Amino acid sequence: MTALISGTALHHAYGPTPALRGVDIEIGAGEVVAVTGPSGCGKSTLLHCLAGILKVDAGEVRYRDQDIALWSEAARSRLRRTDFGMLFQFGQLVPELTAGENVALPLLLGGAPRKQARATAASWLERFGVAELADKLPGTLSGGQQQRVAVARAMVTEPQVLFADEPTGALDALAGERVLTAIVGVARERGMAVVLVTHDSQIAAYADREVALRDGVVDASGLGLRMSA
Amino acid sequence: MRAGTLVRLALAGTRTDHLRTTLTAASSALAALALLAAATVLAIKGGADVIGPDGSYSRTAGAERYSSPYLHEAGLRPGVAAVFVVLSLLVLVLAGQCIRLGAPARDRRLAAIRLAGATPRQAVLIASAETVTAAVLGSVAGLGVYLLLRVLLDRRTKEGLLLLPTDLLPPALTIIGLLLVVPVLAGLAGAFLLRRVVISPLGVTRRTRSRGPLPWPGALIAIGFVLFQVPGWVGLGIGGNGWAAMLAVGGVVCVLGVVLGTGWITYTTGRLLRRFGARPAMLLAGKRLIADPWSGSRTLAALLASVVVGAAALGVRAGFVAQFDAYETMDGVSAGADEGFYLGGVDLFLIAVAIGVVISTAGTLVALTEGIVARRRSYAALTAVGVPTATLAEAVLWQVLSPLVPALLVALATGVGAGQIYNMSDQAATVPVGALGLLGGGTLLMMLLAAGIGLLVLRSSTDLEELRAG
Repeated sequence: MTALISGTALHHAYGPTPALRGVDIEIGAGEVVAVTGPSGCGKSTLLHCLAGILKVDAGEVRYRDQDIALWSEAARSRLRRTDFGMLFQFGQLVPELTAGENVALPLLLGGAPRKQARATAASWLERFGVAELADKLPGTLSGGQQQRVAVARAMVTEPQVLFADEPTGALDALAGERVLTAIVGVARERGMAVVLVTHDSQIAAYADREVALRDGVVDASGLGLRMSA
Repeated sequence: MRAGTLVRLALAGTRTDHLRTTLTAASSALAALALLAAATVLAIKGGADVIGPDGSYSRTAGAERYSSPYLHEAGLRPGVAAVFVVLSLLVLVLAGQCIRLGAPARDRRLAAIRLAGATPRQAVLIASAETVTAAVLGSVAGLGVYLLLRVLLDRRTKEGLLLLPTDLLPPALTIIGLLLVVPVLAGLAGAFLLRRVVISPLGVTRRTRSRGPLPWPGALIAIGFVLFQVPGWVGLGIGGNGWAAMLAVGGVVCVLGVVLGTGWITYTTGRLLRRFGARPAMLLAGKRLIADPWSGSRTLAALLASVVVGAAALGVRAGFVAQFDAYETMDGVSAGADEGFYLGGVDLFLIAVAIGVVISTAGTLVALTEGIVARRRSYAALTAVGVPTATLAEAVLWQVLSPLVPALLVALATGVGAGQIYNMSDQAATVPVGALGLLGGGTLLMMLLAAGIGLLVLRSSTDLEELRAG
């Protein structure tokens, strides 16, 4: 499979502390890949580097054959708005905007007319079963509802790659399963690649493939969470 | 991003955000009002001295319909207008300090918007748009108040003279220009405050310098003093444009020296507290002062500027008193009306300075409260490990007062020094120690009051619930 997005010899450090020490990873179009490993192994840093949130200290991040690590912050932001979707453990919704406004936000930032953006947002909210919450503020929603709104926001631009960092970490088992099923369902339907960071073997089981990290490098033993579970 | 989206994102917020917007708008309204007052004074015609071909002395007509002698003379009106401009600048500094109010919540919102795909420029635009929108609304409100006051204050004396220039308006273009100046300055102040702020999708961080501030701003004070001397050296006529410009530049350079120098004073005070402080509160305060030495410059800028200008006015006043005393000794005749006119003018200016000190203290109170609220988690964490609230309160007082006292002394010395140099009198004036003490003591007292009020929010900020808040 041709890689849609890949990282080659990725290095990143927080001050004197290395987080990634030469990671290689490839993700194909429509592939769901779980990045697993113990706490502090560099999973989230890898996701942030691939999504262009963090700049790598060394190495290449190629998306559609372009090294996005060389792009400006603004260009990487635009890429995240158009081609990438982002999902975090806590929805990271804007607390002062309603659920509908939150979902419409990436479209509005891209210059879409308000009416059109709201309509698209409403259809995605409906898709994830939270249409009736469009006018509610995130603070009034449950954790599961907030996360489904966040998934709708991540999907609203119909991204090519969805980056999800522990997307069910703050949810109970049932709510987590609903969110994961929704994510993977849309990914399969639209041929969207998903990079799923998790330390939970049950969640990693939703993925086509698992990349295990240990101390900032890919664990060559191949003993990921699914193997060890 | 469309304008509607920008405004929606800029004005989205909590009660604190709305308070910040309201305070920014109110400050902008006051600034616009002061600038319009200055423009009105400058719009008065007449009162210029004219010497006829026969050597006779007369004044051009137009300003004699006002009762105030400070509006009669064309040469004095720029000074009156300057007072209003200075007041408007102080109010704008207050607006600048309001911009920081509720910053942590806004920072979180901006990071979330970045995560949704906003570019860094869009995030800065959203942050600045709030300030500019509030300032535009404030400016328009200021114009409304100005027009209302023109009607309400349209009073005449028994002789039929107008108390204030309520019978004329500045040119329309000037009014529009002034109404635009306030939002533009507020926007620039907002962008300036954000220059070291990095708004990333993962959060908001501030780039800090690892090196402490240096005492080079002291050289600015010396340069300011030199600039005051230049008109005398090159023979610029008193009251002329060149003379006024040189004094204005000298004054601004001196004020900048004092304000920027406060960074070094704060840093040095922090180091001294850390080294010699015997109490936990002193050590805590010392650590904070070293960590953010420019906080003093930011929060005390307007206050110190007021003190420099006030002390300069006291120095000038002392010069006038010495001059009039010399006349009296020489001729045995009191200067009478002249003395009342000049000293009255300076006294009016000092009243404006007092208003400036009050406005600046309000700004400092906003900054102090914001600083405590922004660090509430640290305070709650310290309380959780057993640090008494009284110790934290003492640390806040040390933090405010220890750099303030030396900075005040420098401001007083700079101001009175500049005032002494400015004196056109060839009589040696005595330093008005009592009046300077009153200015310095009054300012200190106001700051103590502000710190006391600021400490009221400390109790709620040390609530252990803060550690559980998401």
